[in-house]
Amino acid sequence: MSANRLSIPLQTSRNIAQVARRVAGILVVIYFVWRFYTVVIAGAAYGPDTWVRFAISGLILGGMYALIAIGYTLVYGILFMINFAHGEVMMIGAFGGYFVFEILNAIKMPGASDPALSLLNAFPIPSIILAFIVGMSASAASGFFLEKIAYRPLRNAPRLVPLICAIGASIFLQNAAQLLFGPQRRNYTNPFILERGTGWTILVAGNPVIITYTGVFSFVMSILLMVGLYMLVQHTRLGRAMRAVAQDKKTAALMGIDVNAVISQSFIISGVLAGAAGVMLGIHQGIVYYYIGFIPGIKAFTAAVLGGIGNIPGAMVGGLFLGIIESMGPAALGIDFQLKDVIAFTILVLVLIFRPSGILGETLSEEKI
Amino acid sequence: MPITLETRQVTKMFGGLTAVDSVDLVIAEQSIASIIGPNGAGKTTLFNCISGFYKPEKGQVLFMGTPIQGLATDAIAHLGMSRTYQNIRLFSNMTAMENILVGQYPHLKNGWMDAILRHKRYNREETASIAEAKRLLDFVDLTNLGDNLARNLPYGAQRRLEIARALANKPKLLLLDEPTAGMNPQETDEMTTFIQNLRDQLGMTILLIEHDMRVVMGISQQITVLDYGVKIAEGTPKEIQSNPRVIEAYLGPGAAQLSERFRKQKRHLHENA
Amino acid sequence: MSNSIRNGIRAGSTFAVIIIFLELIGFTVIGSTLIGKVLGNAPQSGAMPPVINLVIFLGLLGLWNGANAAKPDPRGQTFSQALTAGVAAGAFCGLWVAIYALIMGYIQSLGIDLRVYLSAISPESNALSLFGLPGTSAALAHLGLQTGMGALGALLALGLRSGLWRRTAGSGWASTRRGVSGVVAQVRRFPYAVYVMYGLLAIIMIAAPHAWGSYWNYITGTVGIYVIMGLGLNIITGLAGQLVLGYVAFFAIGAYSVALLTAPQPQNIRMDFWPALLIGIVLAGLTGVLLGLPILRLRGDYLAIVTLGFGEIIRIMLRSDLLTPLTAGPHGVRDIGQPALFGMSLSSDVNFLYLILLAMVLAIFITNRLQNSRTGRAWVAIREDEVAAKASGINVFQSKLLALAIGAAFAGLGGVLFASRNQFTGPEDHALMVSINVLALVIVGGMGSLPGIILGAFALKGLPEILRELENYRLMVFGALLVVMMILRPEGLWPASRPRLEKKDRSAPPVREEEPAPMDAEGVKNANHS
Repeated sequence: MSANRLSIPLQTSRNIAQVARRVAGILVVIYFVWRFYTVVIAGAAYGPDTWVRFAISGLILGGMYALIAIGYTLVYGILFMINFAHGEVMMIGAFGGYFVFEILNAIKMPGASDPALSLLNAFPIPSIILAFIVGMSASAASGFFLEKIAYRPLRNAPRLVPLICAIGASIFLQNAAQLLFGPQRRNYTNPFILERGTGWTILVAGNPVIITYTGVFSFVMSILLMVGLYMLVQHTRLGRAMRAVAQDKKTAALMGIDVNAVISQSFIISGVLAGAAGVMLGIHQGIVYYYIGFIPGIKAFTAAVLGGIGNIPGAMVGGLFLGIIESMGPAALGIDFQLKDVIAFTILVLVLIFRPSGILGETLSEEKI
Repeated sequence: MPITLETRQVTKMFGGLTAVDSVDLVIAEQSIASIIGPNGAGKTTLFNCISGFYKPEKGQVLFMGTPIQGLATDAIAHLGMSRTYQNIRLFSNMTAMENILVGQYPHLKNGWMDAILRHKRYNREETASIAEAKRLLDFVDLTNLGDNLARNLPYGAQRRLEIARALANKPKLLLLDEPTAGMNPQETDEMTTFIQNLRDQLGMTILLIEHDMRVVMGISQQITVLDYGVKIAEGTPKEIQSNPRVIEAYLGPGAAQLSERFRKQKRHLHENA
Repeated sequence: MSNSIRNGIRAGSTFAVIIIFLELIGFTVIGSTLIGKVLGNAPQSGAMPPVINLVIFLGLLGLWNGANAAKPDPRGQTFSQALTAGVAAGAFCGLWVAIYALIMGYIQSLGIDLRVYLSAISPESNALSLFGLPGTSAALAHLGLQTGMGALGALLALGLRSGLWRRTAGSGWASTRRGVSGVVAQVRRFPYAVYVMYGLLAIIMIAAPHAWGSYWNYITGTVGIYVIMGLGLNIITGLAGQLVLGYVAFFAIGAYSVALLTAPQPQNIRMDFWPALLIGIVLAGLTGVLLGLPILRLRGDYLAIVTLGFGEIIRIMLRSDLLTPLTAGPHGVRDIGQPALFGMSLSSDVNFLYLILLAMVLAIFITNRLQNSRTGRAWVAIREDEVAAKASGINVFQSKLLALAIGAAFAGLGGVLFASRNQFTGPEDHALMVSINVLALVIVGGMGSLPGIILGAFALKGLPEILRELENYRLMVFGALLVVMMILRPEGLWPASRPRLEKKDRSAPPVREEEPAPMDAEGVKNANHS
């Protein structure tokens, strides 16, 4: 029968693809294990103190990735759209904090015994709070206007259209920032109490490891913000509305939820988190310029996919996981440190091949056929 | 009589919900069969299991005797099964003619190298397929509308075009998902005749989901009733009409007795008149 | 009345934001300089243009502001309503700009150099934006200028709209397009006319490079290469609907193939150009397949981000120490081989341009044949509705893979030509910017439309070469263009048209003529309005 003849090659070709994927997966795992063994265990390239340093910097970086990743996941869960410009939203927040510190540092404290004492160092904690408020508001505002101007008119367009629009917005914001603030890298002026490179020293295997104040500060901040967001989404009216809209926009609208307002609010929340991440990135890494949003943006998206897109706890886990892998991975696998950016992308590809729904699984509304 | 489609204990679950529960179906060649049932009864889900959009968790789908469950949708289309959709899914920025040409895809052999070289066989096949598409346009009464974009066609024409696209595959089995949805009585009648013609003239086997009982009762040889994913009745239109379980599925418990009483009263009135 | 005031205020405030933004990024200075070119009073490079140029520049913006505020009202619009809207828009725009000028004047009077924070604001440019006046007078001048121009703009708009406007600008572009298509259709009716037309085109293409000189040949060559790449990306994105953001990766593979195979350093293989060309194309296509195999089964937008990552990986790898022995690292590869035919070198700029044009014609030919074939229809069907395409028997995965492979091969061809022409290639030739350039030209021209892509390549690659002053603003403008095009005209400048396959009977009644297919959001938006 002709039907039989046709179906068998089609079916087997698909089976072969599946088997090939499994074999490739096993090979990849074997390769990683082998590299890990030769470098870490047989080679003993680094002492335990170095590993602790890698782990700490990974956690700090991971916290920031997680904050940005939440923004991607929130928007993707609701609009099924990668908000490409999200990294740029973070960059705007970083600039907001930068200018607060700069201005406060330029104004000298009148009547102080030390004439060089600036407002920034006279009132360090209010300054930091102000920097966060300004950075978060700048990012929230840019997220809000981005959605309103660029994405809202395309709500019902085919999916390619808003995606291209988001890429355009990303390029626009990046280059506008370059034209506004110049292409040079700028140093973040921290208050003395958060001086970069200073911190508590602990001894690991007899070697000192510095746990920086900026690092601890960033990590604690990101955990607090994540907990806050989780509470917001799980236990408030707004959170309920957001979850409802993510499930089914039409039904949510029928239940009296203002869908447009909820979408705006989720862009604002994403912006707030990204802005905080931006200021933290500035404080911790000390450099701000127009391009700082791009690579972290892509990595945070990777983190969101890694955790399962649409899934908020997934984004948090994915972010921390990615941060740690990125800082420990090159050492563990014996790869050149120049190539650490490659790791994130490789992970993205591997996750998409072997487990496209991420670690914790996607939570997207059922798309009807 | 040879059997075109058979499902054995087909089950499809979404999370904890069993959308289709152990459904058996046997459809004979050159017949018109209908699936009816209240909203959310799992009719479209069953369609999706048959046409390969979903992979059923349990059970078998046999098409012309070959098991096809788990086969990809396009492979199933190659075997000679076509379908239409509840909400029309045309290629809206292509012309009507192009939509039909896409429907012919499984029969044509030209690859991309042939398209670049445009040798004799390519031109022959292309000419033949365009002629065939025009014939199909005529068949569904869309003559002279072929060069319009699909999304610019009126609603009824879009429905017919969708069927024409499905027919272009020269299917042995045609699945129609609510072909008369959104049509006025006159258009519905035309559609009913049209479906009958498909069987009588082209010798096709047709399985349809339909809400309009006039259509269902008028043209089906066999009706299957689904409720909450379970097959609750099967039979000829007459058998289904008087089946109490069907009436209850549609109108709620106790409805069967009510309707029986109503029928008696009506008969009574008639006798009195 | 209050309605028009409200509209005016909104429009005016938006324009004020735009003007202040242009001031902050230094575009007002560039704009005034460009006006100076027209007026013939352009300043020396680096110096500020005269104040009058800035007044003209801001005045033109003010006219636009007024015209924009006095938008046509479907319920009819009276003279006074339009005027009110224009004046309100102008006044508010002027007010905000005046406040900006006051702040700037104040900061300048404090002696703070803003260049530290805002790179485009120097004391000179600041003085220019204050019209060389002290703060308060400058603010008043801005207010007056904007209000006056807003009123004038509104009146102009009202006047033009009543007659001329609609017919000329409103449908001018569409009718131009139709005119060109009409001429082509007319010519087609005569036997052999098509060949005469092609002949003429060929003669122009053969003669022009000799007449132009090497600078223009270089620009035309670049445009030609970008047409090839645009056509390739068009197959992937425009026809098959798959977004690829790392298109530059395939370009890089083509460029580095020819570089490593023909250059004396670092490999010294010194292959002939032609086999290297073939290898470059095939390698790029194969990479497309390898990249597509794992990704193309997934949700469409993942392809965008994975290819974006892949493009960056390629660039990082090319710069890294790891690949330096293989690819010469950040220094790039020099002395890349050039083609020779029958012992005659094609390396002169004219000859190489011929080669590029030939490749371009070939690319156009192939795309044209593919797009209306069974394969091309399958691609468009996937773009339109993947599920329905699958149910029509199309193996969606294989079709997408084919599109990616062919598109990547086009990019490989572009890369080979680019590297060989420049006789050099390095990691910085393969930045993300190339991908964005190609994507922008495809979208601005019109996805899926052949003439659109040629137009887009000329507009986006050719024009900036002519307007060198705008170089710094190019990427920002591309970004803005992508956004604006997606919102206002997703089908592009020259939308794709579908072939007319049903040849109609002469006797049959004529069918309603439709505007060629707008790609996307247009239809949805129309449906929403009605």
